Amino acid sequence: MSAVTASRWERFRDSYLWYSFRRDKVAIVSLVVFVAMVAAAFLAPVLAPTDPYDLAQIDIMNSELPPAGLAGSDPAFPLGTDAQGRDLMSTILYGTRVSLLIGFGAVVLQSLLGILFGLLAGYLGGRVDAILMRIADVQLSFSTLMVAIIVGAIFKASFGNLMFGEIAIYLLILIIGIAEWPQIARTVRASVLAEKKKEYVDAAKVMGFGTPRIMFRHILPNTLSPIFVIATVQIANAIISEAALSFLGLGMPETQPSLGSLIKSGFDYIQSGSWWITLIPGLVLVVLVLVINLLGDWLRDVLNPRLYKG
Amino acid sequence: MKKLMTAVLGSVALAAAPMAVSAETTHEIKLAYDADPVTLDIHEQLSGGMLQLSHMAFDPLIRWTQEFEFEPRLAESWERVDDRTMRFTLRDGVQFHSGNELTTEDVKFTFDRLKVSPDYKAIFRPFSELRVIDEHTFELVTDEPYPLVLNAATYIFPLDSEFYTGEDANGNDKAAVIKHGNSFASRNMSGTGPYQVVERQQGVKVVFERFDNYWDSESPGNVDRVVLTPIKENNTRVSALLSGGVDFIAPVPPTDLERIRRDSNTDLVTMSGTRIILFHLNQSRVEAFQDPRVRQAIAYAINQEGIAARIMKGFATPAAQMSPEGYQGHNPSLQPRYDVERAKELMAEAGYEDGFTVTMMSPNNRYVNDDKIAQAAAAMLARINIKVDLKTLPKAQYWPEYDARAADIMLIGWHADTEDSANFFEFLTMCPDADSGRGQYNAGNYCNEEIDALVEQANVETDLDKRTALLQEVEQRLYDDAAFVPLHWQDLAWAARKNVRIEPILNVMNFPYLGDLVVE
Repeated sequence: MSAVTASRWERFRDSYLWYSFRRDKVAIVSLVVFVAMVAAAFLAPVLAPTDPYDLAQIDIMNSELPPAGLAGSDPAFPLGTDAQGRDLMSTILYGTRVSLLIGFGAVVLQSLLGILFGLLAGYLGGRVDAILMRIADVQLSFSTLMVAIIVGAIFKASFGNLMFGEIAIYLLILIIGIAEWPQIARTVRASVLAEKKKEYVDAAKVMGFGTPRIMFRHILPNTLSPIFVIATVQIANAIISEAALSFLGLGMPETQPSLGSLIKSGFDYIQSGSWWITLIPGLVLVVLVLVINLLGDWLRDVLNPRLYKG
Repeated sequence: MKKLMTAVLGSVALAAAPMAVSAETTHEIKLAYDADPVTLDIHEQLSGGMLQLSHMAFDPLIRWTQEFEFEPRLAESWERVDDRTMRFTLRDGVQFHSGNELTTEDVKFTFDRLKVSPDYKAIFRPFSELRVIDEHTFELVTDEPYPLVLNAATYIFPLDSEFYTGEDANGNDKAAVIKHGNSFASRNMSGTGPYQVVERQQGVKVVFERFDNYWDSESPGNVDRVVLTPIKENNTRVSALLSGGVDFIAPVPPTDLERIRRDSNTDLVTMSGTRIILFHLNQSRVEAFQDPRVRQAIAYAINQEGIAARIMKGFATPAAQMSPEGYQGHNPSLQPRYDVERAKELMAEAGYEDGFTVTMMSPNNRYVNDDKIAQAAAAMLARINIKVDLKTLPKAQYWPEYDARAADIMLIGWHADTEDSANFFEFLTMCPDADSGRGQYNAGNYCNEEIDALVEQANVETDLDKRTALLQEVEQRLYDDAAFVPLHWQDLAWAARKNVRIEPILNVMNFPYLGDLVVE
């Protein structure tokens, strides 16, 4: 077994992927930052000094304390506190976790839907293709945010805030996932159309394999590289969508702040002295989305042979 | 620049005209409040916003000055006939926006409408009738000697009886007062006030134009057009003023007072306020709230001083009762009682140490930082294991929910309409009774007939010392019983561009007399 892993590792080390990664400083830095943020976010319950979701731990008398190093700061709150007295560092750690969960969750969901519908449309063609792609067209003509706002508002009104708060993460994953699947479906369909004319598909057909097997075992692996690229970009998009929804008050509730709702809650204070409530989570959000996008760019360059750089 | 030019040209043209009064120019001001009026029917809702509208489009019989004296408006003079009757004389030659003349018939029509308005009827309950003597003389008669006749008269804004009589296009009575309904009066208005509404889009803007035949020719006011835009976001509202987008804003969030003071183009006016902000704990929705120990526990768990110091930035006075200092009912021995340990003990005594879940609602654009206060209170209640499902709403949606008592804990602010302690009790703590209008805003459904009897007794007590003792006792008993959870008396702040002289038109009731506003 170990021989197999070693050989895989060696294969990876000899691959073009690893070769180009080692030579791309931007990619290295992005990956390091990204891994660090993911690790910090998922270790939040261990790393964070307080639990920002436990309302009983926050004290209004600690509100709006500045980050360490500024006049009036408290060493217990290294990044300061928000207007309700929550420790910003803990809240940002937990908030990043929420943002990442929603980003990854939404992309997994939209990839599942997108790959399935894209494969079906591309491989089967004809009426199936027409119906699926018209549905995608209709959905693309609505902006994601609008769909998310409508669905979010309906759920919020029908469940009440407390209930909504408990299921908000899953709901947001569902909303953003469903709203964005056409992006992936269209990419997959385009690749499938190009792939299905190739000889190996004909060979598989001649060998008598069934349609599902050809679709998933033969064509899908050959269309994976554009899916990887687009999925990376979509993670960043989903995180931004979540932040935008929370900023509008339709995302994570104030009692479980994500990065977006933190930015919103500090917005009233940005010009009144307490700039850190908005600025620090804002920077975290920007850095997070930036490194994901940079990694996505790098992956696109590597996986697209037409863009070989000298 | 262009605006200035037209203003200058306008005033030159008018100065040349023989009839021109010096005050007549073409000034326009842009007003940004946190919300716009929810209806045009001033009797539909008793609220600060509606009274502000009343002072723009209507005139009261008399009004308060900044020094808390009565100033004659539509009533030219008044005299006491006997201990139950006050005779008023109406001003001559006052015209409504529709062109009709103001007579005592209009005042009687208004009085009768106030008596049936669900929100106002409690204020006018001590009055038995309005007796018309002739076209310009009438008498207000009370059932028993009542010390606050003139105070109540500041809330009589005569409506145009001819305009509001008859049937509208749908066959409904034009005079009907319908809460949150689509009545004739909620869409149309005709008053005697300095401004007429010429354009209104709910939630977007209201445009007022000065009424050409306004009776008060002595008024120094020189503003011809007022554009009121609701800006809910504190930060945006302040930025709009600082950038010159609007001329006058209210309220000014406590976080931005310094920023406005530093700006050389704006003026800031602040006053310590008398509006109490409080929570009602609804006993008919939550069984636990029927136990006085649970209510006391909540009163102990809320840190009034923390809210006043941190959220309100010291721009509020922490409260333990409803009556602010200077009111007869103010009981100086009552102090905020923040003590989490005691609160936990009381919860345990009542058998609720594991807590329970309640819903809470608060407006988010009615009182200063209302939604932040509610959030902070939710966090404080978490410490005694009460889980709060908080919902904050804009006031246009909040009041219908409030009237439906839609949440277990509801936030409200109250300014005594008669500038007297009894008004607080009548509206906020007396047993709710739709006929008399008592307890109309008592979203706690708190009901204690003994305390109510004390208030009734105070209402007919003309001996000042005895009345003070009665009202103070009421405060004490409400405090002991934790009938509600007081938070603070909210201070007031307005800000305007330097050339807009707001100081003389402002008052502690927060009814800016915009008709007298001077723009330089």
